[in-house]
Amino acid sequence: MTIPLRSAKPPQGGSGFAIAVVVLLVLVGVSGLLAWGVSSLLAAQFPTLPAWTLLLLVIVALVPGMFVVARAFPWITNWYYLLPAIVVLAAFTVFPIVYTVNFAFTNYSGINSGFPDTSYKTTVALSQDRRTVTFSEVPGDVSSIEQLLGCAQGGGSCRGRPIALYDEEGINPVTYTVQSVQGRAVTLTAPVAAAFVATDATRVNTYGYVALAQFQRIFARASAALWPVFGWTVIFAASTIVINAVAGLVLGILLNNKRLKFRNFYRTLLFLPWAIPTVISIPMWGALLNQQFGIVNKTLGLLGAVPIPWLNDALWIKMAILLVNLWLGFPYMMTATIAALSTIPDELYEAADIDGASRLQQIRSITLPLLRGAFTPILLSGFAFNFNNFGIVYLLTPTPPTIEGRESTASAADILLSWGYRVAFSANGGQDFGLASAIAVIIGILTIGISVINFRAAGVFKEARR
Amino acid sequence: MTVERSAHDTSVVYRPQEPSLLQRLLPWVLGVAALVGLYFLVQALRAPLADVRPSSSILRVENGWVTFLLFLLGVVGLLLLTSLIGTAWGRRVTGRKIRYSAVLGDQLTHLFIWLVIVAAIYPLLFVLLASFDPRNSLYQFFLPTEGNVFVRSGVIPNFANSSLENYQKLIDGVTIPAWQLVVLGVGAVALIAILVLALLTRTVGGGDEKAYERPRTWATRIMLAALALVVIFLRPEQFTGQGNESKFILSIRNTMLVSGLTGLMGILLSTTAGYAMARLRFPGRFQTLLFFIFVQMFPVFLALVAIKYLLFALGLDNTFTGLILAYSGGAIAFNTWIYKGYVESLPESLEEAALVDGATRWQSFWRVVLPLSGSILVFMFLNQFIGTYAEFIVSSRVLTGVENWTVGVMLQSFTEGQFSTKWGVFAAAAVVGALPIVALFYGFQRYFVSGAVAGGVKE
Repeated sequence: MTIPLRSAKPPQGGSGFAIAVVVLLVLVGVSGLLAWGVSSLLAAQFPTLPAWTLLLLVIVALVPGMFVVARAFPWITNWYYLLPAIVVLAAFTVFPIVYTVNFAFTNYSGINSGFPDTSYKTTVALSQDRRTVTFSEVPGDVSSIEQLLGCAQGGGSCRGRPIALYDEEGINPVTYTVQSVQGRAVTLTAPVAAAFVATDATRVNTYGYVALAQFQRIFARASAALWPVFGWTVIFAASTIVINAVAGLVLGILLNNKRLKFRNFYRTLLFLPWAIPTVISIPMWGALLNQQFGIVNKTLGLLGAVPIPWLNDALWIKMAILLVNLWLGFPYMMTATIAALSTIPDELYEAADIDGASRLQQIRSITLPLLRGAFTPILLSGFAFNFNNFGIVYLLTPTPPTIEGRESTASAADILLSWGYRVAFSANGGQDFGLASAIAVIIGILTIGISVINFRAAGVFKEARR
Repeated sequence: MTVERSAHDTSVVYRPQEPSLLQRLLPWVLGVAALVGLYFLVQALRAPLADVRPSSSILRVENGWVTFLLFLLGVVGLLLLTSLIGTAWGRRVTGRKIRYSAVLGDQLTHLFIWLVIVAAIYPLLFVLLASFDPRNSLYQFFLPTEGNVFVRSGVIPNFANSSLENYQKLIDGVTIPAWQLVVLGVGAVALIAILVLALLTRTVGGGDEKAYERPRTWATRIMLAALALVVIFLRPEQFTGQGNESKFILSIRNTMLVSGLTGLMGILLSTTAGYAMARLRFPGRFQTLLFFIFVQMFPVFLALVAIKYLLFALGLDNTFTGLILAYSGGAIAFNTWIYKGYVESLPESLEEAALVDGATRWQSFWRVVLPLSGSILVFMFLNQFIGTYAEFIVSSRVLTGVENWTVGVMLQSFTEGQFSTKWGVFAAAAVVGALPIVALFYGFQRYFVSGAVAGGVKE
């Protein structure tokens, strides 16, 4: 069977899809290679040229390439509608993800960053043939040159390990590869460049592949971080969406009362928390909830309450997060309720009135059952959104309370995403990118799992297939 | 598959089913479980309060809640009375039968909603008032000694020292050349014109949207053009003041530039894709759409190291271009999905007519579908704009140096550090920073309501 490649009708089935992918990959790959070649030529000629000229060159190469390919395979023009999105996604979303997933299997961190470690910098002398560097001494805190170069653990062979050499200025290290180590003399695989005067040398803190060690670390200490954080993430996402939905339903049903005067005015006012950017309103609540000076405790003090440790107690901060998220989220739920209620025909209520049903009975037997259809996707997507609601946790207080026995990066308030962020970027996380990447992979899998269930319930798959 | 039945089909008869014992018990079981859970929660919440000592900065009124409850009861009693009068008066005026319970219900609804409004909106009002108080009054150490109980407790801010000092700190050392002032003036006049025209539409035009459409469109265009001019040509050199807060206006400009361009990129990248998903049929289309959606489930914050590396390699680290490109990837899936839904809602016959007349696919998209997509493009742009405006993690990692900061990063710098917190400036900055977005929200309210509810997704 031959596949009609040159017709306007796209080749069908799985093989058709595969052919399209191959053609697109060749098109983008060839344009990329062309652009790369031209840009390296240009860079040799004009060294000041910025690196992003490559991006422009790719576009310049892609446009004529698209015409040529469309000549050969007329059906590929269908895919050109998707090409801008695919190219940008590949460069700025897929590439970082692949890179990060790759990190999850390494020990990349603030220490193992691929840079020379200046704390082991030691004076060296270079031999005549420029291939052997001899260390002047073995520094006090290591027992051998092998240990200084960081290769004492893995069988002791330093072959193939990098070594960084410094000249007198000591600013720009040059990295060479070790062939062998005898006592204090280190032989390199290639002679040091003629112009370079090596005076010091040190190890390079490379990062290497550690297979599943990062995941093992997470699960070995799961009771100190993963399980409690995961538990709170699920409880938070589920309870916040239920609380918000109940509040939104009550307000929406009350405001849907056509007799009520000023109801549009009320609606407009209650809309306000939704309109304020969360990056402003969440830190604002952090100030308002302060135990000693916050307006919330001052108001509660008038009612006779003691100053509540909203942001300083492991349990109260969870209440604070739920409360602030209620404030942020109820206008959306209210609006959704009002929009959904407007689709329920009035005749149903009129008929119920004639039958003598009370207002409460009408809500129970007409409104709520008919709202279920509209609310299911809203509740599910709200759950997915709050599952990764980083802002509310991270912005509310810069110093969330910690819990005894937990890892220092996993505070009482943290959900999975903020925990991962603190592991990677906060001061007490030690910039452990490898571990954070492993957490990211776990979060990604969980989020996709939740979304699959969510989409199935909301009928997204059916709609997309249509 | 559902089998289609005619309306008169009698083969399906509705038979009410008695719920089983389990089904009838379930709400009770759940209710009891919830009550027990609540009891333990309250016990756990009370434990840390045992050793909380009363604070000198908080005025505590013993049994104040009793007073509050009595006040509420008084109001309800008053409503019972006014509803009685209202019912009698309504009967007399309309001559129809009006139920007392209905009137009372409405009155109690008003009371309840006002309580909600006070609880939800007063914090905002408080921050607004605090921004006029130069003494960091979000964090008041000393309580006023005179005035009524609300003033003495600090619940109502003290107006005695009101000044614009906090706002002046935000514009300290800002120099604006004459032409920018003129452009700003034109923009302000256009804004006032829009507001006046909106008011006229309501009153004179009788709520008819079409009444003043042309002048309103033009006023909107002039205002947006003036705003864009100022945003593009505002330079960091114009901000000569000391301290971060004097560069807050610059950070608003940076944020608007980044958000606006990201919004445009989102539209540019997603409209053609959304159109193809809706109208073209080829193998792999459905899989590509799912790929778009699922690839964005990966937490972007945790890929920051990779993004930073990529931007560094491209020479785009610490540039707005780099940040916009990093954001653009995240805009695609949602926008494509929304636009696909919109195109599907358009009648296909329009395009068929164009295709019969000899238009190509591209022409039918460009000439027929795109001109009809105004409202959804506005929603896509605004949604992206507002989402990007509130973003702070990626921008705080990609952009370094005060002059490049966005609003979120700048606000973080005011609240970080427990002892150098500038709450007065924070309050003023929060007000100024939130204004443009609040204005957008209220100006384009109907787009948000329809778009957000239709999408079933809150970005």
